[in-house]
Amino acid sequence: MANQVQKLAYVDSKLGVSLPGQQTTRVIYDSVNATAGQQFFEFFTNFAGKTEFQTNLTTNKLDSAESMVIKSIQIIMNSATSNLADHLNLNITVGNQVVVKDFDPSFNATNRGVAFDRLHSGFNDGTNLELRLLTDIVIPPQVNFKATLQVSNALVAVNDDITIIFKGYGRIFSAGASF
Amino acid sequence: MGMSAQDKMITVANRLGLTSLKDMQGTTRMVYDSNTTAALTHTLFKGASQRAFPLTNVGANGNQFQVDEALLVEKIGFFIPSAADGIAYTGIAAAGRSIKFDLVIGNKTVIKDATCELGGEQAFFNDGASASGVIDLEGVGILIPPQVEYYVVAKPFSTALRVGTSDRLGCYLFGTGALLNFNTTI
Repeated sequence: MANQVQKLAYVDSKLGVSLPGQQTTRVIYDSVNATAGQQFFEFFTNFAGKTEFQTNLTTNKLDSAESMVIKSIQIIMNSATSNLADHLNLNITVGNQVVVKDFDPSFNATNRGVAFDRLHSGFNDGTNLELRLLTDIVIPPQVNFKATLQVSNALVAVNDDITIIFKGYGRIFSAGASF
Repeated sequence: MGMSAQDKMITVANRLGLTSLKDMQGTTRMVYDSNTTAALTHTLFKGASQRAFPLTNVGANGNQFQVDEALLVEKIGFFIPSAADGIAYTGIAAAGRSIKFDLVIGNKTVIKDATCELGGEQAFFNDGASASGVIDLEGVGILIPPQVEYYVVAKPFSTALRVGTSDRLGCYLFGTGALLNFNTTI
């Protein structure tokens, strides 16, 4: 079975990405400022006016020589009225392909004893959860990606923030020569 | 040498003649369904296409996966919806419940008279004060192939008193999955 390094190299080569690149641990994130009662959130599609702490991307694709494998997904909500412990519906799309479909990560929130992954549900928090994927999901270079999250409760207040974070193994540009 | 989840999916799919499953998009997948009417016995996932989010996430396909989609079930968890709207839920620990259940795929009962005993996953349990309501499947897991109906028959009972109880109930099936991926233009 291929590990994440092998899988990323395999997918990149299939897509014609031949540059070796610098191997790294990659974290990308995007935060959405909510309107009152908002239940549907779209991430990595709008970067206008966001600070470096709200997103670390400027476009919804990785650079031409950059790619990554999503190994875990963290979701953080800043809200006094809503939470991530009620049912959620998460979809992730890479290119035109849905790679995570109708997933409910809320089971990893709080300490109700229903977490998928004990190691990643290590604290009692209804507004901050992490989900470790069983499979390696590749974001290739120059391919659009986005995430959507539906929140079942309608308790989100104006100016609440929801942040999604993708973590995993990646490659960043390395020229391999001096300029 | 142990078999990986992906290996098992491909092996079973090939045996079933589903030779294109290996070309589909690998993913981590979970499906859940809940019944917010208290009962002694619940048949979950059956008829789930008639229910909407947040009661279930199976969508219009109901209790079967569409062509070239599948789920290798590696964990089964049970929870108790807090109200009829199904939005919030607790673990079975809050009510001191365990669950006796069957998992049926097609015409075959693949897990029979098993119990998800409250706190049974304690060896790996480090997420706080609540006992676990999740059962890890031994071996690699069990494959739900595409286009085959599946359902769970579940009966909640008091863990300590060993008597059946009438409760709301939900169940999730979690594991490695495959999503349809057209490998050609259409």
